[in-house]
Amino acid sequence: MAQGLTWTVEDADSMTQAEIYGEVLTQIGQQNEKVVALTADLAKSTKIGRFWEKIPERFYNFGIAEANMIAVASGMAETGLIPVVSTFATFASMRAAEFVRTDLCYQKRNVKIIATHSGTSFGTAGTTHHCIEDLSIMRTFPGMTVIAPADAYETARAVSAAIEMEGPVYIRIGRGFEPPLHKSMDFDFEIGKAIELREGTDVTVIATGVTVLHAVEAADRAQQQGVSVRVLDMHTIKPLDVEAVVRAVQDTRRIITVEDHSTIGGLGTAVADAIAASGKGCAFAKLGYQDEYSIVGYPEDLLHIYKLDADGILETIGLVLKQDFEQDENWEDEI
Amino acid sequence: MLSNKERKFLEDTARRLRERIVEVTYSCGGTHIGGAMSQHELLIALYYKYLNIDPTNPRWPNRDRFVLSKGHGGVGHAVILADKGFFDTALLDDFNKTGSPFGMHLDWQTVPGVDVSTGSLGHGLPLALGMALGGRLQGLDYHVYCVMSDGELQEGSIWEAAMAASQFKATNLTAFVDRNKFSLDGPTESIMALEPLDKKFEAFGWRVLSIDGHDFDQICEAIETAQAEKEKPVIIIADTIKGKGIDFMENQAAWHYAGVDAAMRDKALESIRKMK
Amino acid sequence: MADHKEELKARVFLRSALPLVKVVLSERPNYRYLLYKADGVIQFGAKDSQQAAWVAMSPEGFEVKPGLHENPTISLIFKRLKDLNTFFAGGTALPSVSGVKGVPTLLRFLPFMLKLKILMPTAMPTDPAEKELKVRMLMQMIASGLSQLNKGGDEFLSSYIKKSPDRVFQFTVENGGPANYLRIKAGNSKAGAGTYARRRPYVHMIFKDIDSAFEVLTQRVGTVEAVRDGLLRVEGAMEGSKDIGAFMQHLDKLTMG
Repeated sequence: MAQGLTWTVEDADSMTQAEIYGEVLTQIGQQNEKVVALTADLAKSTKIGRFWEKIPERFYNFGIAEANMIAVASGMAETGLIPVVSTFATFASMRAAEFVRTDLCYQKRNVKIIATHSGTSFGTAGTTHHCIEDLSIMRTFPGMTVIAPADAYETARAVSAAIEMEGPVYIRIGRGFEPPLHKSMDFDFEIGKAIELREGTDVTVIATGVTVLHAVEAADRAQQQGVSVRVLDMHTIKPLDVEAVVRAVQDTRRIITVEDHSTIGGLGTAVADAIAASGKGCAFAKLGYQDEYSIVGYPEDLLHIYKLDADGILETIGLVLKQDFEQDENWEDEI
Repeated sequence: MLSNKERKFLEDTARRLRERIVEVTYSCGGTHIGGAMSQHELLIALYYKYLNIDPTNPRWPNRDRFVLSKGHGGVGHAVILADKGFFDTALLDDFNKTGSPFGMHLDWQTVPGVDVSTGSLGHGLPLALGMALGGRLQGLDYHVYCVMSDGELQEGSIWEAAMAASQFKATNLTAFVDRNKFSLDGPTESIMALEPLDKKFEAFGWRVLSIDGHDFDQICEAIETAQAEKEKPVIIIADTIKGKGIDFMENQAAWHYAGVDAAMRDKALESIRKMK
Repeated sequence: MADHKEELKARVFLRSALPLVKVVLSERPNYRYLLYKADGVIQFGAKDSQQAAWVAMSPEGFEVKPGLHENPTISLIFKRLKDLNTFFAGGTALPSVSGVKGVPTLLRFLPFMLKLKILMPTAMPTDPAEKELKVRMLMQMIASGLSQLNKGGDEFLSSYIKKSPDRVFQFTVENGGPANYLRIKAGNSKAGAGTYARRRPYVHMIFKDIDSAFEVLTQRVGTVEAVRDGLLRVEGAMEGSKDIGAFMQHLDKLTMG
């Protein structure tokens, strides 16, 4: 459980999100000889290359062939190893989708996928290197655990927790230059449990991945205008922390979801399922890519254009607060 | 070179289990009988002479692995596993029925003796490679055998795995192609030509052995050569006949998947008993 | 025409205070005898205003509604709304009474009306049952008084409530004691009995017991000391608790000042 991690907060400041995960994975690999690392010619980009340097005998580069890599990982897991596979999100979740589903999920193999450059974090590379579908696809596979950590520290905790659990796990991160949300590795992290970053009673913003930081900023700005916003860091999309969602429905009656992902099938849809199942009325809005591919641009700009940053979230908060839902428009005093 | 006694044993076993495959096909309404017949000798040789396995301990870590990458040949595989004692042969009466542990494509989670679940073509070779690399890394000396269909070689992932096996010098992996020259829609060469198959695998860095897939002497010699080869992974291209042993089924694409009624069953059994 | 302030005061008296006779009835079962064979409608009003309310008495209990009843048994109409307000605030003011047939009804009603005097700041009972009655009446009065002020267009309250998102100010006495709430949203307001179940309160004022509630609601103990001494717990938004405090003062000044 995150023990033996020997770098300090100062080091972390200069390490990007991807590098921290590379460092954590290497340390875990040094402590657990069952861990092997696989890449599809993206070791340098995904920073799993750190593992390559330190533990070359347990590192495999399968070249630009993702489908083969996933199936090989499945075979390795059969022999008792714990393969950690890394490539870009679009290739991990779509190019190799059938292999993930049939060789990892159906066959219940203990393989961990670290999908980098998810969402539009690879901005200027364009849509062929973006991935706004992976949460939706991975959610649909029975047995898959799906996590979108908010920053480098959460990524490290997620990788650690993933290796400690049995079964396939899909972790999606950005390209590595995302700013930190937490101050250190020292916070409660449990797969499947949302982290309440801000308390509030007027509206709840449920965010995941790189948008969490923006949700917190929006909440703080709303607070200055007298609006009380609850922020939930829903790092685990599957299994979703349904209890936290239901509590938010009961306490605030207004929910906004934010994700660097399509609004179809990802966090927003998962939360909507939970709200509908709870049977209680709730004002609800999903922020994400509204069934469209993004333009080319720097990722920070894209988040702003598609209203996934603090400005966009704040604007949506305003809209949702004005919204009515059918129940309780009885304004007669009870005397 | 096989002794007469050994050869007779393998041929008798092959004949006996071919009959069993026909019986299962009759009782369950339909199977991939054509391909089960073409792959048969390869599997018999492996299971009755070479595979280092223990039916009382199906998950024994240092066991040899077998991957039927052409997962639809599952009925032939299941019949052999039952005969070897991995499970009660009476369970095969439920083959393909609702709730049965046996579907058309065997699942390692429900059938003892199966190492990986196949069925989607193109997965078996990479899965086999993974087990080969995993064993080697952990200092285990088992061998991995993978039987593919020829139609399956149209899948790109097979060639990804072939490249990787050569790259990583996976000499503890031996692959076979059940070259019966037919896939579901017809002859492979008219749909998506595979020849020259031997040259393709050589180009990918494999050592290629071409044999008659129904001749036990050739099969055994090829397997022993593969086991001894330490420079490259070996692929054995076995020239086979779809539906082999049942005269009215041989070389017909229609028998890729089919059922038999009582009359056909009897004719099939008669044909098999005439085999040497 | 009565001025706006008087209109607001009257609203509170007629629509929030007068209905408290129902609380008296439920807390004092021994008063039930006054309803035996009761049958009549008492109309309150003033000549210079639309503000009015009527009370219907029957063996089942009271019905209190704003406006004019089409067939009151007895009417108490004040010359000016100011006088009506004085009357309800406990001062001296005489209405003109019409409907002699309703005198028996009025006589039955009188004890209930007199009991409303317990709301006055000078009424500081020591008897536990009396304290509880006052607490129950005050809690309902605060919630509905504020709601009525908003509905009546009180500047202080309605300017706040117009801008407000859906919020609930909840008042509760712990361990099964009385509870009331005020819910506001974009100009609307509602006073309710019990606990608002549909969302978490924006501000929740929780009194330890009846005595604590009594001390705080009669303003014998200020809220700061009450919290410090454990009589009162406030959960929710801190700014919100300041707001509700200010509203309660405002209501108090308007009706009693």
